[in-house]
Amino acid sequence: MSFRTRLFVIFAITIFAAVTLAVAIISSATRREFERSDSERTQTLVQQFRKEFSQRGNEVVARVERIAESDAALRVAIDANRPEPDYSLHYKDARALASAHGLDFLELVSGSGTIVSSAQSPARYSYKEPWLLEPVNWNATGAFLRREDLADEPALALEVVRVMNAGESRLYIVAGRRLDQTFLASLVLPPGMRALLYRNLDPAFSAQALVDSSGPVPEAQKLAPLIENVRAENHEADDTIQWTFDAASAEAFHAIPLDGRDQKLLGVLLIGSSHRQVVTLVRFIRNVGFAVGGAGILLTLMLAAWATSRVTSPVKQLASGAREVAAGNWQIQVEVNSRDEIGELAHAFNQMTRQLVEQREHLLQAERVAAWRELARRLAHELKNPLFPLQITVENLVRAKNQYPEQFEEVFRESTATLLEELNNLKVIVGRFSDFAKMPVPQLEPLDLNDLVRSVLKLFDAQFSASGKIRAESDLAANLPAIQADPEQMKRALQNLVLNAMDAMPDGGTVRIRTRQYNSTVTLDVSDTGQGLTTEERDRLFTPYYTTKQHGTGLGLAIVQSVVSDHGGKISVESEPGRGSTFRMELPVNSGSKPLISTADERR
Amino acid sequence: MWRSAWPLLAIVSLTGSATSVSAEFRPRYGGALMLELHDVLTLTDPGDWPAPLAGLVYDRLVELDDRGRPQPGLASAWTHDSENKRWQFTIRPGAKFQDGSPITAASVRASLKSWSDVEISGEDTILIQTEKPSPDIPIELAGVRNAILRRGSDGVTIGSGPFRITEWQAGRHAVFAANEDYWGGRPFLDTVELTMGRPLRDQLIDLELGKADLVELSLDQARGAAQRGMRTWRSLPLELMALVFEPGHRAVEDTRLRRAVALAIDRAAILNVLLEKQGEPAGALLPQWMTGWAFLFPATRDLGRARDSAALIQPVPRLSLTYVPSDPLSRSIAERIALNAREAGVVIQVLPDAKADMRIARVRLRSHDSAQSLADIAAALGLPQLIRPDGGTLETLYAAEQKVLADFRVVPLFYLPATYGLSARVRNWQPAPGGNWRLENVWLEARVP
Repeated sequence: MSFRTRLFVIFAITIFAAVTLAVAIISSATRREFERSDSERTQTLVQQFRKEFSQRGNEVVARVERIAESDAALRVAIDANRPEPDYSLHYKDARALASAHGLDFLELVSGSGTIVSSAQSPARYSYKEPWLLEPVNWNATGAFLRREDLADEPALALEVVRVMNAGESRLYIVAGRRLDQTFLASLVLPPGMRALLYRNLDPAFSAQALVDSSGPVPEAQKLAPLIENVRAENHEADDTIQWTFDAASAEAFHAIPLDGRDQKLLGVLLIGSSHRQVVTLVRFIRNVGFAVGGAGILLTLMLAAWATSRVTSPVKQLASGAREVAAGNWQIQVEVNSRDEIGELAHAFNQMTRQLVEQREHLLQAERVAAWRELARRLAHELKNPLFPLQITVENLVRAKNQYPEQFEEVFRESTATLLEELNNLKVIVGRFSDFAKMPVPQLEPLDLNDLVRSVLKLFDAQFSASGKIRAESDLAANLPAIQADPEQMKRALQNLVLNAMDAMPDGGTVRIRTRQYNSTVTLDVSDTGQGLTTEERDRLFTPYYTTKQHGTGLGLAIVQSVVSDHGGKISVESEPGRGSTFRMELPVNSGSKPLISTADERR
Repeated sequence: MWRSAWPLLAIVSLTGSATSVSAEFRPRYGGALMLELHDVLTLTDPGDWPAPLAGLVYDRLVELDDRGRPQPGLASAWTHDSENKRWQFTIRPGAKFQDGSPITAASVRASLKSWSDVEISGEDTILIQTEKPSPDIPIELAGVRNAILRRGSDGVTIGSGPFRITEWQAGRHAVFAANEDYWGGRPFLDTVELTMGRPLRDQLIDLELGKADLVELSLDQARGAAQRGMRTWRSLPLELMALVFEPGHRAVEDTRLRRAVALAIDRAAILNVLLEKQGEPAGALLPQWMTGWAFLFPATRDLGRARDSAALIQPVPRLSLTYVPSDPLSRSIAERIALNAREAGVVIQVLPDAKADMRIARVRLRSHDSAQSLADIAAALGLPQLIRPDGGTLETLYAAEQKVLADFRVVPLFYLPATYGLSARVRNWQPAPGGNWRLENVWLEARVP
């Protein structure tokens, strides 16, 4: 990950985390505030309901008392308590009185508990209301909830009972108002709140029994668990209903049981508080947070780009300079525009490259001197061997000429043969050095390494047999792809490795050649079971003119390395003293695409 | 037909000032009597008209007097053999249809085309021969369906009654003008103007405002109107109110449940209060005055048996009962039946104008003929044909009624009278108790300018 990206990510995460934290805190605070406000509003609404409930009860009481004072009620009281009352005289009176006094329910009941007239159910005349005869001071009793069984369906009523006396005649006046959506509509509700009424008049939960101010509640079944809870426990309960998938549709409900006179649960008041307001507010906060976060991230991007350009530009220059140095261009200098740490670094870099150039010059000179010394040593060594026989031979010739003239011809013949042989040796030695200096440009063509291995092993077959101590083995990979290579150079390189292996095993052993493919590379391993190499020998192995052998020129492995390098490959060695050595050539399958060092100047 | 119940039941109920006042004033010709009805009549089928109105335009061979006895109508006389199988009717001489064409034996036979055994025995006599003794042939001929009429080329019927149709606005308004050539003499009234489809409440308002002279009243309206001193008149019970269990409703397929509901109904309490003592409790489909056997069908409550019957059913299904929303009386009675049934252990929900298990039905009896009325009731209540409208003996009629009531598919509740309100200027109001208004005898007091 680049410094710029890292810087951007750090900035972005910081801003995102800050904004998220701020949004979360504000949202949480908003929710808490809303819940507190919601709770207060619910309590206010409950109080309002109770106040309205009480006020309605007082209204009913007032109306009932007016009815009790009316002549119509007096007539009913008198007629209803006759021995055989004629109900037809008054069975419509209750409806007329209820209509006149704005009551939904009104029953006029005789002192014996017999209904004389019923507004809500005129057909109930002559039926009994035995509960009225209980020992209760009705005139001191306030309004209470009561179930009214109407012809079509039961209803919930807020009722009052008053007793009027006409002489010895007594008349119960049972009057009330229906507790339904009209009652709910009269409640003044804050925005986002509503009141629902469940009329608990059926044995099981009934969706139709749940109404709000506009009528039956759609999807009332979702409130069934809450209502069932209140029905079962007869105490207040809370629940939150989410009406749709939208979280804003959620509504918190506070359910309050409404008991009748005998403490039997007749209704459940549900105060609903919509979450839409708070959800909308939280969404707004979140959206603002996102917008601020987005803007912050954008700003961060720009800031990071600016900051990183200031910070990374010199670093990039340094990196580029370092790559140039790695590529060999030690003359590179980076521009220094600042005096900060980056500037100091750039200055140090420039100083380093200058010192490197100077040290390379020194090193080159030293190496050149060393190489010349080595070359001189090697040449001296190589030339000394044939020179010594030459010197001896010439001295023999001189000695023979002077001391044994009669044998001079024979000595001359023998000496000239020796001289020619030694001169030929000198010529070979000179040729080897010349060959190394003039490695030709590889002529690339498809080459099967396995075929190459087979031909080289065949070439050395006679030598292996002659030695009688060295055995050759091959482990060639099937389906080895052909590589682009110069067959002659590759053959020469492989021969050098085989010869090297044979030289490493003066007491005999096994030369093992193995080919393999690894992706786009083929390898060729030449292993011996000789005495192995020391670390120092391994490090200097490919240095030209370095050899561990008595009669080596030190050019064999250098030539191998040169050939492999010219084919875009590389050579390595693994060896431990006493465990033999393995030389590995790694060659690209398509070595033609690799840039090859092809000029003699470059090789030098 | 059997008419022995007439002397017992033909009681005219006149309330307050509805008593005839014909002797107090001199008759006066002229004027238009304003009549309002709730029903909408069709011009092509007078058989569906209320009997009182049909009598304005159409005559029958025989009329019934106040005691239900046959009196000459278009037939001035009739004779029969000793077995009551051969009846000969003589057509009133000079009688004409309202278009001036004479009424002959041929036109009478054409009008009585539903009768297969009518023969022309002379220019002004027809002969009716039956295989069985038929002593009630004259009463049958007094029915509205046996009105003598002639159809014009346009299909409109032409009668011979005291009034003729001079204006007809379908479904709204009609004018009947006095028939100058009426064989019984020209009516006192010049015209009778009929407004159709008028709600009962509006009719009462029109009567009180002097916009109408003769209007229909509901039972509860009649009592209130009488208490306010208005003239009212009540006919014999001419309407059957019944509880009908709807066929095909699984909830009421159990006869024991239907019996429980039927036995739980307290007709007396309903009659005394909701019907304000107007009408009669009904145990049979046809009223006592029409058949004479209605008392054999019990109409009393038996809550014990009702409970026993309901107790045989476990569980007792919840039933529904509907009524016509525009009929508050039906609603009150339905609610009372629901209360009664609950005492027997049957819960009934009362719903207006709904597809319910039961309904309150009201059937107006348009004929004094038992067979015809029974057929009308069966048709109105959706029952299979109980008996042919044109025949049947006393025994078959009784058996048919007994059969239909035995499984409690239909529970008769009450026989209800028709009640009317009259304006103060209507004079010589002497209707027949069976419903014929006899408007040809009515005259109007002149309006005070």
